[in-house]
Amino acid sequence: MRNWRYLVYALAVIVFMTLPFYTGVYLLNVAGYILIFMTLTLTWDMLLRSGQISFGIYGFFGVGAYTAVITFLDAGVYPLFSIFLGGISAGLIALVIGLVVLQLRQLYFAIVTLALGGIFMVVARNIPELTGGPEGRVLPSTIFDGDPTKTYWLILAVAFLTVIISNLFQKSRVHFAVTSIRDDEIVARSSGINVFKYLVFLFSVTSAIQGLAGGVYGHIYGFASPEGSFDLNFVLLPMAMALLGGIYTTLGPVIGAMLLGSISEFLKLLMPYGHLLVYGIIIIVVILFFPRGIVGTLAKRFQKKR
Amino acid sequence: MKLIKRLGQRDYQIAVISIIVAVVLAYWKPYVLVEGVQRSCLYAAIALPMALILGLVGIINLAHGDFMMLGAYLAYWLNVYTGMDPFLAIIPALVAFFVIGIISYLATIKHVLGEEELIQLLLTFGLAMVLQQIANLLWTSQPRKIILGYVSSSASIGSFSFGTFEFVYVAAAIAMHVGLLLFLKKTRLGQAALAVGQNPRGAKLVGINVDRTYLIVFSISIALVGAIGVLFMTRHSIFPMVGGAFTMKSFCLIAVAGMGNIAGIIWVSLILGISENFVLSFMGYAGWADIIFFALIFLVIIIRSHQRRVR
Repeated sequence: MRNWRYLVYALAVIVFMTLPFYTGVYLLNVAGYILIFMTLTLTWDMLLRSGQISFGIYGFFGVGAYTAVITFLDAGVYPLFSIFLGGISAGLIALVIGLVVLQLRQLYFAIVTLALGGIFMVVARNIPELTGGPEGRVLPSTIFDGDPTKTYWLILAVAFLTVIISNLFQKSRVHFAVTSIRDDEIVARSSGINVFKYLVFLFSVTSAIQGLAGGVYGHIYGFASPEGSFDLNFVLLPMAMALLGGIYTTLGPVIGAMLLGSISEFLKLLMPYGHLLVYGIIIIVVILFFPRGIVGTLAKRFQKKR
Repeated sequence: MKLIKRLGQRDYQIAVISIIVAVVLAYWKPYVLVEGVQRSCLYAAIALPMALILGLVGIINLAHGDFMMLGAYLAYWLNVYTGMDPFLAIIPALVAFFVIGIISYLATIKHVLGEEELIQLLLTFGLAMVLQQIANLLWTSQPRKIILGYVSSSASIGSFSFGTFEFVYVAAAIAMHVGLLLFLKKTRLGQAALAVGQNPRGAKLVGINVDRTYLIVFSISIALVGAIGVLFMTRHSIFPMVGGAFTMKSFCLIAVAGMGNIAGIIWVSLILGISENFVLSFMGYAGWADIIFFALIFLVIIIRSHQRRVR
């Protein structure tokens, strides 16, 4: 059983790595787009496992994009390193916010993070010397001069990194600490788990990855602007993907992202203005009717049969 | 939960400080004071129904501002197609949004009442997105505004002139505040709702229909916020995303005032509204006004968690 699982992993890795060799540019772009959202979806779910919702994905995503673009343009930092800096800056901001807000959990945390994106947007608009104001900043050329294969591999690397971190968390003591916090915080506290420390750590790490994804996005599309980088899509879509696939697992968000990501490509063509409506409806329907998502529901059925 | 409390010593202290600030402002920048009060009453009027839902039903409704947005659109289209005056449109809005409230409660909110907070937050967030996107799909993201003659009426004291129409928001906030207190204290339904808010199980034991009370409280709140949306539309331009900021600011007011403190919401909204207008009055820095509510909520969280640690 165990070996079989590793075989599937290896096969998936090979398929993803070699994708550029047998698909066209369009499909490669779509795959890259889906992988970026898969990264966001996984990081969102990783924090959700502790019982905290962060609506701040789009905020940290935008911070990463801005940091990468600005450090590249103004400080002349090498692109890949500027993406890394994007992740670092998002992580640091999350650390500060987490130290303050995670004292009061769930409701307060969720709403403060929901406000974050808007706040970052105000900041980005009002320091035109640095951020270019409402127009944002534009790169002279995209990363790797727009080579689709290399950009795809860059996105893939970030996505793999996220999957690996998510899996490591699932297997380490972080997982047990986090799950016990979600199930019963008082019990977790009295068994000697430093709840606050784990939550701040988790929030910083997931936000840093979101910033990393944002940096990649900024370099691939070659710009950072208030509306484009702090877009509510970057929280709505990952939430819908994670819920559809099944929360609290690594597999669920991955499957949800692939499924909904492919569907969204058709939806965008079908209804260019209202396709976000579908994601909102998916969130509501999943919560009301099958809160465990696809993976959870299937797993339950599978267990029953056995 | 205590919704109505007597004035304590602290309230008098707050009142004295606010009067001093008001006098200083009235000399220095009178328009900041007047417009700040008008703005804060709009905030308070939007936040009160949200506080009602949070206090009595126990749900934080992230779609709150979006119901207001829909109310604004309702009045807009009534005005465009039938020429109906927005003030008259309040009545159909109340009725329509009472029904919308019933539908949204029965279809969604009802099923997550017993669930954990996390699920409730996700659900109402999904609801907010659906409402925003419906508006976006039907009416596009283009901002809309109607021009009404009486909106720009003004009065002047000496050389200082100010808009008088916006005092509608002051009236609305006061009416809503008094109305809510009367409803909760004097009517049977309000008393039942208070009892349910304090202890749902106890209320059920003494024979109150908890489920129906939730339904009515939720629908009344949605009706009220829809009606405020109508008033909002008279003075501001509307677009599908306009409600999001008001959801955040309403939550900020409720959180800073303390859950279930209705009078506190008025005070906090005064602080928020006047300081926003204060920032707006400086040329070149006006863009930063939208950050104040966040600073306020951050400050309060720091103070709260500090208090908790001391205790």
